[in-house]
Amino acid sequence: MRGHAAYRLVPRLVHPVAWWAWALGLATAAAHTTSPWLLLAIVLVCGWVVLERREIGAADAFSVFLVVGLVVITVRVALTVVLGNGVPGRVVLFRLPQVELPSWFAGVRLGGPVTAESLLAAALDGLRLATTLACLGAANALAAPRRLLRYAPATLYDIGTAVVVALTFAPQLVALAGRVRAARRLRGHSGRGIRELARLIVPVLEGALDRSLDLAASMESRGYGRVAVRDRRGRLVGSLLALLGAAGTVAGLVGVLSPSVGGGLGLPLLLGGLTTAAAALVLGARADTRTVHRRDPWRAPEGALVILGVIPAVVVLLAERAGTAGVTVEQVPLAWPAVPVLPLVAIAVAALAAPATPMPPRLARRRAELPHPRSSTIVEATA
Amino acid sequence: MIELDDVSLRYAEASTPAIRGATLHIAEGELVLVVGPTGSGKSTLLRCLNGLVPHFTGGTLTGAVRVAGRDTREHRPRDLADVVGFVAQDPLSSFVTDTVEEEIAYGMETLGVEPLAMRRRLEETLDLLGLAELRDRALGELSGGQQQRVAIAAVLAAGPRVLVLDEPTSALDPVAAEEVLAALHRLVHDLGLTVVLAEHRLERVIHHADRVVLVRDGVVSPLLAPAEAMLASPVHPPVVELGRMLGWSPLPLSVREARRAAVGLRQRIAETPAPVDGSRGPIGSGSTAGSLDRVTVVRGVTTALDGVSLQVAPGSVTAIMGRNGAGKSTLLACLAGQLAPRSGSVRVGDADPARLAPAQRCRAVGLVPQDPDVLLYGDSVADECRSADRDFGVPHGSTATLLDQISGAIDPDRHPRDLSEGQRLSLALAIILAGRPRLLLLDEPTRGLDYPAKRRLVEVLSSLAAQGHSVVLATHDVELVAEVADRVVVLAEGQVVADGPARGILTGSPAFAPQVAKILHPLTLLTVADVEQALELTAS
Amino acid sequence: MTLSGLASARTHPPDSPAGMPRWRPAAAASLTLTTLVGLAAFLWPFVAEPSFATGVGRGQNAPWLFAALLALLVAVLLGEVTSRGLDAKTVAVLGVLAATGGAMRVLSAGTAGLEPFFVVLVLGGRVLGRSMAFLLGTTAMLAGAFLTAGVGPWLPFQMLAAGWVALGAACLPRATGRLELSLLAAYGVVSGLLFGVVMNLWFWPFMAAASAPTGAGFVPGAPVADNLRHYATFYLATSLGWDLPRAVLTATLVLVAGRPVLRTLRRAVRRAAFDARPTFAARSAVD
Repeated sequence: MRGHAAYRLVPRLVHPVAWWAWALGLATAAAHTTSPWLLLAIVLVCGWVVLERREIGAADAFSVFLVVGLVVITVRVALTVVLGNGVPGRVVLFRLPQVELPSWFAGVRLGGPVTAESLLAAALDGLRLATTLACLGAANALAAPRRLLRYAPATLYDIGTAVVVALTFAPQLVALAGRVRAARRLRGHSGRGIRELARLIVPVLEGALDRSLDLAASMESRGYGRVAVRDRRGRLVGSLLALLGAAGTVAGLVGVLSPSVGGGLGLPLLLGGLTTAAAALVLGARADTRTVHRRDPWRAPEGALVILGVIPAVVVLLAERAGTAGVTVEQVPLAWPAVPVLPLVAIAVAALAAPATPMPPRLARRRAELPHPRSSTIVEATA
Repeated sequence: MIELDDVSLRYAEASTPAIRGATLHIAEGELVLVVGPTGSGKSTLLRCLNGLVPHFTGGTLTGAVRVAGRDTREHRPRDLADVVGFVAQDPLSSFVTDTVEEEIAYGMETLGVEPLAMRRRLEETLDLLGLAELRDRALGELSGGQQQRVAIAAVLAAGPRVLVLDEPTSALDPVAAEEVLAALHRLVHDLGLTVVLAEHRLERVIHHADRVVLVRDGVVSPLLAPAEAMLASPVHPPVVELGRMLGWSPLPLSVREARRAAVGLRQRIAETPAPVDGSRGPIGSGSTAGSLDRVTVVRGVTTALDGVSLQVAPGSVTAIMGRNGAGKSTLLACLAGQLAPRSGSVRVGDADPARLAPAQRCRAVGLVPQDPDVLLYGDSVADECRSADRDFGVPHGSTATLLDQISGAIDPDRHPRDLSEGQRLSLALAIILAGRPRLLLLDEPTRGLDYPAKRRLVEVLSSLAAQGHSVVLATHDVELVAEVADRVVVLAEGQVVADGPARGILTGSPAFAPQVAKILHPLTLLTVADVEQALELTAS
Repeated sequence: MTLSGLASARTHPPDSPAGMPRWRPAAAASLTLTTLVGLAAFLWPFVAEPSFATGVGRGQNAPWLFAALLALLVAVLLGEVTSRGLDAKTVAVLGVLAATGGAMRVLSAGTAGLEPFFVVLVLGGRVLGRSMAFLLGTTAMLAGAFLTAGVGPWLPFQMLAAGWVALGAACLPRATGRLELSLLAAYGVVSGLLFGVVMNLWFWPFMAAASAPTGAGFVPGAPVADNLRHYATFYLATSLGWDLPRAVLTATLVLVAGRPVLRTLRRAVRRAAFDARPTFAARSAVD
């Protein structure tokens, strides 16, 4: 990031949990408002930070999630056109022929007048969901979820390793599938069609499973499985905590969902159950003797990120509670939605995430090589 | 350091032991080479050393195996991870993480090494194996030699005193193999590690070895001196074959030793006329079986082939040589019609192979890929042969007959993946030949083959050429090329650097000369058979 | 069937081979409870009372809360199942099969509903036995999410549902040959559709009644029959077009490719020798 040399931070990767906390804060803010101004502002902030801080080679999840969001909005609006809406409206845009449905479908309306208010309501609702998706996409793009695997508790060590193996192995699998497909042509087949799919799967699976045994031998030889399993008593305690936690959660849920059955006990039971379950996860049945090489550091930028994510969430929540104009848009009197200033500022503050955090190393190197930020005629050196 | 006391191992479903009577006492700081034909029990012996056999594979172990004082009876492989490091043949299938640094740190993390100590050991290991510039690279992007060195580094970082390697260089080209072997040599001599290594390509490694163990049909010899072992071993490199034939004593194991012993031989043969490759057919006469005319292929951003022209004569064996990435596989892919070139034309017979439908193409040109397993999908050898008959529309049993001719008896009910490397290559070859293509292409056929299997391959290829097929091989294996090729084409960076008769090219270049040529330089003899012939001429 | 095929059928154990995670009472109880929580997390729209909608579950909070809840409980469950420790072979085989599943999800990420992913769950689950099947389902879904960089609040639901699908395949009755394939194909259709029905339930409450299409929205506190009807409309309108092709594709692939794939998997399980017991004999006792 061009700027004061004194403020330029040393390029490194930011702790993934910090990025996810920031994005989830923005997502929470998005979930509590239907103002198109605020929602679009959130999308813009996410997009800008992704542009500035996505590491080269990381998946471009943001665009993917944006596209999915657009699909969601389209589907919503289309459904509203066909099935109508609970929103009474006066400005009728056009009429579809109404279809009579059998009595079992009471309450469902097919066709009929399509009003602007109903379309607006559907569009805003869809926009809210799309914005939430955009925030998740930003999180995925800025901090690849597989980096979160390192922070899994010791009880999930084996599953975590299995997932790491899967992620490492998947590209090799795809390459193998390509070679098998080419080999089918060598035997005179075209490699297409569903029968061919069967002939394709077997060599790929065989190759994959043979490799897995080699991998297992190598892991075993390198000491996998040395993580000390606690003695029987420790395991029993862990299991007990897990069961209590799960049981408490179920009971608490029953109470919360149906307060008439559970009285006021629902929420406390639920929270108690969840805490016990979390304890089971942390204490668990294992004593973790592994060490970690070069943990991602948690320093000032990470703390700043979390705060910058919390600010918009808190401000929007409070504004919604207080009923500030424009945060929850009413569609019935069709009017231009008001611009809620304070929440908008809070969301703009979240954009400080980009200058407040260091650039990822490969991106910093790439940016340093370009003499002028807008120059696009320079061919970049291959990494 | 390593003690085996009358060790025998029998797998759960087998009737005979895989190894028997192994008694070895390996001292610290020795490089021990385990030599034997495929299927003799070398892998089992190596895996006994770190406990994988019998803890991982199952089976009954008799006798005692002790490594650095720890008995494998009580210690599982994971308990031995800090004394014995095991490196397998395929490094990519042993990687757990994404980047070089993480992979090296993984073993130490698992063993619970202190973070500060971990960092120090990581840097030391990177320097020891020359990987410092590669530390951030993704493992999939590295070359074969670099990957193998990373695999060694990953195992070494845990601080073992013994390294066990099962065929570490069989899948590598000569340059990469040299890197790996040089690294091992340094580890033994500078750090005093004990290295036990099994290898097929003995010419690269026999002069590094301090001791040799011969394994044959499960019988394990005691520790022998290298020269003594080579005298008795059924598998040996060309220099040893030459030495045995001429009765040199002490038996030379490297080119340098052999040149000293060969002074008299060179003088004796110097007067005989140079051998004429008459039996292998003239080049360039008659129609061509296949040709490339100024072909350019671009793959991604790199130019894989740049204006390459090549003519393949019928009934000839052509070898394409060059380092990794020079374009050998791309050239074969063009000839096989898998790739369409950006410019220039490819012809097989009269047609452009890329335009032909797969069913017609496989009758004009057949390619045996680098990894022949991708061709196999049946669950028994007989099943594979039957489906090949169906694929190519040939009468029942023709593929099976072909297979018998190529490799001798193979149990028809065995699963194709349970066969040895050589047998799998033979099966793949039989399948491709079922279509009777005029042009046969082979991509790195000698990966993982031992000397007897290579000899059988040479015989098969020669007989195919005699029957009128044209064979094009892409290979690094200079010894194979010396035995079988009429013509050699050398590629570098996608361009043809040399193209001519095999004898001239191989003897003319120090990098590509086979051992016999290096020993008898400046005479133009390529193989031990050539030397025999020359000696007969001097006798007459 | 060839000799090797017969051999593999004979040595294939009835359910999870020894040495792999077993369903001990604690894990089984944990699975039941997590299933209950999962059911609650999926079915709460039908049973929640109106006061829930104005209290804890206000606005769009509920789906997120349930996601977080379920994530925690799925993690606890996975920890319980693997509490004895998985050995390297199990982890490697799981990882590789999960990679296969994940790669399938990547390949089909764009195409509407054409997900060969479920074939891996059904066939893999069948061969691996109950506990490993459940782990396979969850790990494959997780790997798929990471590979497509699509981690979100729907993930715990998907993981649990995929685990159920694979577990169900493992619990099917013993059969061989054609009957087995037909059974698995039928199961593939049913599970594919059910998966869709259930996963859609996660999305549905976002269509709060105020702005949802009439008759397809979620009305908290309305009688179960009403909400069911609304959901049925919603499902028919949105998801059936996705789920039906997926179910049909799964069944077709099982019928076409099932036998060789099952053979391959069973051979791999046999070669892995999960229950390999090393034996040590005294000197000169053997041969």
